[in-house]
Amino acid sequence: MNAIQIAKPISGLAQSKSGRRFQKYRVLDFFDRWTFMVPAAVLLLAVLAYPLLYTVQISFAKLDLATFAPSEWVGWENYATVLTDRGFLNSMKVTAIYLVLALPIQMFLGFGIAFLINAEWRGRGLIRALFLIPMVIVPVVAGGVWKMLLDPLWGVFNWMGSLVGLPTVDWLGDPTLAMVSIVMIDTWRWTPFIVLIASAALMALPQDVFEAAAVDGTRWWQTLRYITMPLLAPIIAATFVVRWLGAVKMFDIALAATRGGPGQSTNVVNLYIYEQAFRSLKFGESSAMAVIILIITVILTLIFLAMSKKLEDRF
Amino acid sequence: MSTLTLRPTRKRLKSRTGANVRIISGVVACFLFLVPVIWMVATSFKLPTDIFTTPPSFFAPITFSNYGSYMDAADIPHRMMNTVIVAIGASVLSVVAGAMAGYALSRLRIKGAATIGVLILVSRGVPPIALAVPMFLVARKLNITDLHITLILAYCTFLIPYVMWLMRSFFLALPKELEESAMIDGTSRLGAFFRIIVPISMPGLISTLIFSVILAWEELLFALVLTNRNAATIPVAIAGMAADTENGAMWGQLAAVGTITVLPLIVFALLVQKWLVKGLAESATKG
Repeated sequence: MNAIQIAKPISGLAQSKSGRRFQKYRVLDFFDRWTFMVPAAVLLLAVLAYPLLYTVQISFAKLDLATFAPSEWVGWENYATVLTDRGFLNSMKVTAIYLVLALPIQMFLGFGIAFLINAEWRGRGLIRALFLIPMVIVPVVAGGVWKMLLDPLWGVFNWMGSLVGLPTVDWLGDPTLAMVSIVMIDTWRWTPFIVLIASAALMALPQDVFEAAAVDGTRWWQTLRYITMPLLAPIIAATFVVRWLGAVKMFDIALAATRGGPGQSTNVVNLYIYEQAFRSLKFGESSAMAVIILIITVILTLIFLAMSKKLEDRF
Repeated sequence: MSTLTLRPTRKRLKSRTGANVRIISGVVACFLFLVPVIWMVATSFKLPTDIFTTPPSFFAPITFSNYGSYMDAADIPHRMMNTVIVAIGASVLSVVAGAMAGYALSRLRIKGAATIGVLILVSRGVPPIALAVPMFLVARKLNITDLHITLILAYCTFLIPYVMWLMRSFFLALPKELEESAMIDGTSRLGAFFRIIVPISMPGLISTLIFSVILAWEELLFALVLTNRNAATIPVAIAGMAADTENGAMWGQLAAVGTITVLPLIVFALLVQKWLVKGLAESATKG
């Protein structure tokens, strides 16, 4: 109330200023506002836009390994090479499998655990704080530690399995199980992140709607279906987009835990391109692969954003 | 009368059991998620004979040998210092540049602002590998590989869009009257920003800074590509240790380096947990 009363005479004062002075003030303000953009714009142009354009450029060239500069233009040759490269196609398949498995599992577990830990009791704050811990475990450390946990000889996992009579399993040595392990490690590392977002979102839900539903004698699944889900849908969608943006960068855990193996079974696309560029020194081809991945990622991100926006508008 | 009093009691009883089941399963879930961390810390204090045994030893004598000579041999203190320099340098630079840009986006009355907003979000989806290759080539050409500043600049690629996104929504929630009244008193917009907006936004800025430090601290790909000795960070060392199959007996050392790498982040995260959770929720829901 007070603030409005004070603000009104001030804005009246500004309007009563002479037109020219006001114009000058507007122009100055315009420049002033753009100065805010300059540091970020300069940095992003230099370290984000320029390298991206350079990647596109190299993807059409052969790189001279003596000077590390593009030496010869080869047109679409690099793209033709990589699109028939079995390793690259396999790495895209591996990445797709990882994403299709990991994202739904993590979303489901994240929101489920958030519901559990939101139960009101004295230790709620502590439990939520403890969930922060796995979230800040450096991914490459997570990969290394899980590699020990899953070890066929000395790993705790196999010991626990043997207690209930399971045979020894070489988690990271079997192609299928290695993928399961990667998804498991990634889920361990990232679910707490979703738990914390979901927990905050669940707490922010308007309580009166639920009270009204309870008074009307709504069953719990009706509440879930007709009240909780519509309220949560936009948040689930937004969380999914954030997690997706992180998951497409999958690199550290696979590098530390399996290095893409056994064979090529966990060679996610980022790891594959990395090896092609910095081990095989195929910079032209790896740039072409990076451009392809970039385009696919951007298109999918835009689709997810549009879907998330639609969900938001619908509810 | 009796039925009237009985029904609510039974209902409350039922919801109590439901709440208890929730609490217990929540605690169990939390514990399960902590087991690998506890196990890592425990392993870091074990002798090889206690690490490589079945069944696993739970009450082994404590040793500090994993934190001793190996650390110096692997150049861990130097790498830790590099990690601190790069993480803090990149975060401060990104928060200053990103917060200013986020402020401009929240206040600019320009049609492009929404497009820039989408661009920022999309740029967060740019695979780092698409940047690592050209950065490596350019850094080689300019002879700036293995320098802190190179890594700091590389980290700006993902930190600045992140900060812009978080701070934009933070500033949108602030009333415009705040700086407008100061500007009518003759302060420039820049002055109003630093004198009025920045102090008010301290909680948001600090939580964003902490997020940035965590993200920069754990980054691996750029560090692998752009450094080799002088500016190499801890994740690079860990990647090397985890990949080392010849000396398979390095578990204790790996656990020790892992522990000292995550310990600062855990302390950090717990100290500022309220802001951290708030920032997390905002990064997902607002925008």
